[in-house]
Amino acid sequence: MKRKTSLPVSYRLAVTSRLLAAVVGGYLLASLASVCMALWLPTSRADAVISGMLSSFVFYLLAVIWCFACRSAWRAWVGVLLPSAVLAAFAGLAYWMART
Amino acid sequence: MFLALLLCYTGFTALCMSMDRHHGELLRRKLSTGRRVGLRAAGWALLIVSIWPAVHATGWAQGLVEWCAVLMLSALLLVLLLPYRPRLALTLAGIGLLASPVAAFATL
Amino acid sequence: MKEGFRQAMAWLHTWAGLIFGWLLFAIFLTGTLSYFKDEITHWMQPEVQAHPIDDARSLAVAQAWLQQQAPTAARWFIDLPDHREPSLTVSWQAKVDPGKRGDFTQKVLDPVSGQPVQARESMGGEFFYRFHFQLQMPHPWGRWLSTISAMVMFIALITGIITHKKIFKDFFTFRPRKGQRSWLDGHNAVGVLVLPFHLMITYSSLVIFMSMVMPASIVASYGNDTRAFFNDVFPATDNAPALGQPGQLVPLGPLYDQARAQWAGGHVGRVVVNNPGDVNASVKVMRAGADRVVHDFGSTVSFNGTTGQLLRVSGDQSLPQVIGGSFYGLHMGHFAGPVLRWLYFICGLAGTAMIGTGLVMWLGKRQLKHVKSGVMPFELRLVEVLNIASMSGLMIAIAVFFWANRLLPVGFAGRSDWEVQAFFVAWGLTVLHAIFRRGRQGWVEQLSLGAVLFIGVPLLNALTTSQHLGVSLAKGDWAMAGFDLTCLGSGVFLAWAAWKMQRRNVAQPKAERAQSLVFKGEVN
Repeated sequence: MKRKTSLPVSYRLAVTSRLLAAVVGGYLLASLASVCMALWLPTSRADAVISGMLSSFVFYLLAVIWCFACRSAWRAWVGVLLPSAVLAAFAGLAYWMART
Repeated sequence: MFLALLLCYTGFTALCMSMDRHHGELLRRKLSTGRRVGLRAAGWALLIVSIWPAVHATGWAQGLVEWCAVLMLSALLLVLLLPYRPRLALTLAGIGLLASPVAAFATL
Repeated sequence: MKEGFRQAMAWLHTWAGLIFGWLLFAIFLTGTLSYFKDEITHWMQPEVQAHPIDDARSLAVAQAWLQQQAPTAARWFIDLPDHREPSLTVSWQAKVDPGKRGDFTQKVLDPVSGQPVQARESMGGEFFYRFHFQLQMPHPWGRWLSTISAMVMFIALITGIITHKKIFKDFFTFRPRKGQRSWLDGHNAVGVLVLPFHLMITYSSLVIFMSMVMPASIVASYGNDTRAFFNDVFPATDNAPALGQPGQLVPLGPLYDQARAQWAGGHVGRVVVNNPGDVNASVKVMRAGADRVVHDFGSTVSFNGTTGQLLRVSGDQSLPQVIGGSFYGLHMGHFAGPVLRWLYFICGLAGTAMIGTGLVMWLGKRQLKHVKSGVMPFELRLVEVLNIASMSGLMIAIAVFFWANRLLPVGFAGRSDWEVQAFFVAWGLTVLHAIFRRGRQGWVEQLSLGAVLFIGVPLLNALTTSQHLGVSLAKGDWAMAGFDLTCLGSGVFLAWAAWKMQRRNVAQPKAERAQSLVFKGEVN
């Protein structure tokens, strides 16, 4: 009878890392996407906010899928944080433009 | 809703019969290309036509919801009948085909 | 993760499905029951009499009662009866210091006598409705958990679609009596064929609590003034403050008529009176949610409470509001008539079955590796216990809830809480039972108990009330009869499932004995 081989620690760490990227990073990405839509859509304020919230979950889904489909845990984080940074920049731009 | 159900069920049966595996299982004959195309076209046509009685009775919003519900449930019914009562499944489709014009006439 | 895309998605689907599957099963089953919550309430409070609907009388009765019992309240709520919910419910919020929320009190009135209904206290179908999104947890943790579960469900659905390579080829495929293959075929069938419903119900449950779970856009656009956002979306909630001077409220009947005229025959769901005793009282007549598929939260006609003057009619919804309202309306299904409601129910059961078959398969596949040794590792044993308790255990708990309703004395104070406690105590006991009984035995015993309890419901009804099947069918009380018959059908289904489990239990040891005989023969 073969002895049960346990999964290596590095594997478990990688999975945990991807999970964090998906759950936390994904939420960040989804929130920033909704903020961008809320600030950039040419409709009324309330409508832009509603549209942002309605579509945010699709972004969350895409982030989660990316985090588990990509080739490494590092790529998972990059793939989530990079777009988040871009979206944050866009949101910041809209904020600054509204201020001035 | 009943007419939509008949049309959806018959449409799904036609689409099912247009597949090699199911055609072979149920009719024990080889599926020729002509027959496959014909059954596919008939199946899709019936499904699309079934939208009309659903929407005609209760408007677009409620009608589309009812059509979706009928679509899902007729597919479920067919798939559950096929392995246990294949003859009945086909017979119901036949009845559906014959009864549809009658039902259409009654509701209009 | 170095495998292909499909395999990675299959991995995600399997683990997301397992970890949240037990909770999602409970959410789906109680949510499906909620489509008939009014009918369940009717069965659980058989003393409530349904009268022909007379909104004018109901409104007059409600106003008189509230004027007498809560003249100084901050707000009155009057929920008018409809075809499915025959009770006239009034509630009021006590007036407290500004900035604080007053307590809510609710009373169910008889629309003919004007007095509180004398019926046994029970949450009725509302229990299942509230449970499926609040999970019996303190506010707002339950809602957060159920919405997180919805997000995981969404991921499980999409990864399931991606993983299912032969989604079109196997569209009509269902091969029973082939072991694990049949379970997979069944899981795929209830998943794919009812997919539009599953996607709708899952995404809409995210939309329903989106302001709570995804508030970033509100904060970014409105800053600290979140109240302004809600006022923009629901202008009817913007009420004139109380002036502190007493005023006489006009009769509500004519206001009701005016509102209905605005809606060209639409129905009134609720009437809200703000600051009823004040000169600045305002009345909001709100449209019934069941009028349209697209739920219009804001559809309100506002009046000045002391002069009766029409102040505002809410306008048409914008496209994003229509989309949001569509999700809400489709999820709730208020607009559904009896046939469509049953279709909703069947679709919900299909979703529940999809989750259940998935959980069974997860364990079944991994159990095969340990059949020879007969000893299951701890993790698999844990999954087995949770599978049994969350599925057959939950069904037993539901049946016990109904049994408690009929067995607890009618006049017993706090019986409503005891009904709920009976539900949870029974569920807890099924967990213990699953721990102490080995796999198959646990299933067989719990399914059998569930069968007995559910088949017993109509019998119990006949023994304890005068509304048994014979009476309800003769009267045409379809809600009451339908409940008894559905319980009967569920019991028969559980009995069949128990029998199937038992047969496989008996068949398997025989097969193993035959196998060992063959080995012995070969050795000799």
